[in-house]
Amino acid sequence: MAPLIFRPPLCWIAPLAAAWLLLGAGPAALRAQAPPEYQVKAVFLLNFAQFVEWPPEAYAGADAPLVIGVLGADPFGDTLEETVRGERAHGHPLVVQRFRRAQDVRECHILFIAPSENGRLEPALAALPARHVLTVGDGDDFAPRGGTIGFRTAQNKIRLRINLAAAKAADLTISSKLLRAAELVGPPEVAR
Amino acid sequence: MKPARNPFLSPPSAAGRRRTPPARRRGAVLLSLGALLALGGPALSAQTAPVRPPGELKKMSLEELLDIEVTSVSKRPEKLSGAPSAIQVITADDIRRAGAASLPEALRLAANLEVAQIDSRQWAIAARGFNNTTTNKLLVLIDGRTVYTPLYAGVFWDAQDTLLEDLAQIEVISGPGATQWGANAVNGVINITTKSAKDTIGTLLLGGGGTEAQGFGGLRYGAEIRPDLHYRVYAKTARAGDSALPAGADAGDAWHRTQAGFRLDWEPAAGDQFTLQGDLYGGAIAQPALADVKIGGGNLLGRWSRGLPGGSNLKLQLYFDRTHRVVPGSFSEDLDFYDLDFQHHVAVGARHDVVWGFGYRLMDDDVSNGPTLAFLPPQVRREWFNVFVEDRLRFLEDRAQLTAGAKLEHNEYTGFEIQPSVRLDWSVADNRTLWAAVSRAVRTPSRIDRELVSPAAPPYLLSSSPNFASEVLLAYELGLRMQSSPRLTLSLATFFHDYDDLRSLEPVAPPAPFPVVIANGLEGRSYGAEFTADWRATAAWRWQLGYNELRVDSRPKPGSLDRTSTRSQNLDPHRQLLLRSSVGFAGSWEFDATLRAVAPIEFQAVPGYAELDLRLGWRPVPEWEFSLVGQNLLHRRHAEFGPPGSRREIERGVYGKLTWRR
Repeated sequence: MAPLIFRPPLCWIAPLAAAWLLLGAGPAALRAQAPPEYQVKAVFLLNFAQFVEWPPEAYAGADAPLVIGVLGADPFGDTLEETVRGERAHGHPLVVQRFRRAQDVRECHILFIAPSENGRLEPALAALPARHVLTVGDGDDFAPRGGTIGFRTAQNKIRLRINLAAAKAADLTISSKLLRAAELVGPPEVAR
Repeated sequence: MKPARNPFLSPPSAAGRRRTPPARRRGAVLLSLGALLALGGPALSAQTAPVRPPGELKKMSLEELLDIEVTSVSKRPEKLSGAPSAIQVITADDIRRAGAASLPEALRLAANLEVAQIDSRQWAIAARGFNNTTTNKLLVLIDGRTVYTPLYAGVFWDAQDTLLEDLAQIEVISGPGATQWGANAVNGVINITTKSAKDTIGTLLLGGGGTEAQGFGGLRYGAEIRPDLHYRVYAKTARAGDSALPAGADAGDAWHRTQAGFRLDWEPAAGDQFTLQGDLYGGAIAQPALADVKIGGGNLLGRWSRGLPGGSNLKLQLYFDRTHRVVPGSFSEDLDFYDLDFQHHVAVGARHDVVWGFGYRLMDDDVSNGPTLAFLPPQVRREWFNVFVEDRLRFLEDRAQLTAGAKLEHNEYTGFEIQPSVRLDWSVADNRTLWAAVSRAVRTPSRIDRELVSPAAPPYLLSSSPNFASEVLLAYELGLRMQSSPRLTLSLATFFHDYDDLRSLEPVAPPAPFPVVIANGLEGRSYGAEFTADWRATAAWRWQLGYNELRVDSRPKPGSLDRTSTRSQNLDPHRQLLLRSSVGFAGSWEFDATLRAVAPIEFQAVPGYAELDLRLGWRPVPEWEFSLVGQNLLHRRHAEFGPPGSRREIERGVYGKLTWRR
């Protein structure tokens, strides 16, 4: 039983090292894959569908889908579709829709407002249907500015901020389990 | 360490070679095969790539999602351990729902580990073979603190504990991790981490008791001092009953243990994080006809990590660890460790990620020798230092990564040791990753190899050797991780391990079997496969399956006269199966079942067995949680490890537990 020890001759080492360094010299090609941050956020959106209750009139019918919308420059790539594929919440299948402008949003249960809209967040919130839209966005100030659930990142971990007044105004019930995992923020003033 | 149970001191008896009844063995095999077939036949696949498949994330609870570290757009890899390897992660939720009452019980949830309970407090835990009472090829870390003993490079599992409710997760890597983790990470790494103090705000009280876990209680209080400064303090105590002799009588090895500790986390600025934590513990374990074994110790650890612009970061960790152990009739030990680790992680160019670092370790070990064995000299001071560098290169439009690195380590026994590895992972499709690795790892000598004699005075029956060299492993691994649907994740890791210079016991005056001297007279090979499947049947019902095949073969090298160690080093079941079902129902109820089936250990004539743990949990309001746990329910008692003469058996146990948190 001879040990299978592989010893590269010394003359290999220099070209190998050169190849190693050269391989890394070119510019990185970008790939249509979301960074893990948005993979995790996509799963949070799926969780919100489970932990938030919409009144029956929020759905067009018993079999109507629960719509997860993305407003603005979509940071998810294909991740969001992959995440919700085959999933149901409260008996409704989940579908993803994308919206260019807040005025286009009609039937939508969860709306992720992309960071591209941060500069015009208040007008966007005001243009949304008054009820049944759970707005979700990035940044420390998303929920204080009138969004319902804000993601913020601290020490590379995602933290949740929930604006209960905004949820109430939209006629949504957020489960205590989700509330426990989040930081509740005011002010209660909702920009719509 | 009980000398009577140590393989060095009691070579297997003739009875140890007796074969187990074939019917029993066939049962375990059929059970395993049946479960595999039920899964759908050619379900061969997949282990962790840095980008987690969405299905893996979807299985996590809200708390777990909030706890995972995400990569920001700068593309910094998540963690060092995220490199492609046969990694399995046990989450805090898994541990709670399985009803594990101790760290070794929690480790039973890792399908890539062999976990055998020896008696009430001793455990034989290994990855990829060479399991023993003194398993020495596994590295175990608790919050970055190495917990193996320098006496035999194994772990005193009776002294390792924490409040299980504080655990964040346990990562179990089977296969070598030496390039990143250092010597002793030969066959695997167990990395146990606790939650940040920020995530344990409030009060937690728990208590319960039953037949084996006779009584336990715990208390934790966590609070915010300032928005960037959090702390927690905890205390716990536990008392466990005797294991059983094969005839059913109590083995007289009941134990009790108490531990307290704290953790402080300060985040003065984004990316800056200070942690200060410490524990103190003490306990006693009964021994028949002798005074109690006494254990005690404590540790204090400080860690600073800092994120730098451009996604690079620095980490500095310092700790002190003291262990005290008195084993009447055998030996006692006072052991101090001082340890420093530094790591710098930096992105170089667009495609390279470089991690480099160094470490220093100082040990003061003071043993009082008993009549049966002695470490000579009894008191030693030893130093270790290491440097390592590893580069991860992304290519094929970031679909593939090649990670190459080496650790250079210096120890006082054998001088410099180099432990290189090359790993490749390749996303062959969006839902599957193929990985391969070649690595070299060494198990450097411990005190047992270089400084042990038995009995304590001449003429010695066993003596160690000043020439004992490191045991060397060359490992070849190939694995596949696959997300075959949003609800089903499969993984398969296969390996071939080639060992040289394994420890042997060479007779000094053959054919007389004794005295023997320790040498590096064996070589060995092992191969096997580790398969896991994780299926979320519905949002509330999850199934997990783990199945392992393992063959270990060692034999004397030319010139070696050792004819016993190949048996004492082959104490690994050929296959084992883990099947778990976790279901939540009616809003506040949870029901978990964990079945494990383990093939026989032939050279110890330990029969194969199957055992079942059940847990029923009820959380009617957020503050209160009630649970009832049954452990090892299928038999009144069963054996998991040990030669027939000194074997202890593990009894069926039931306990209830009450948790209150606010």
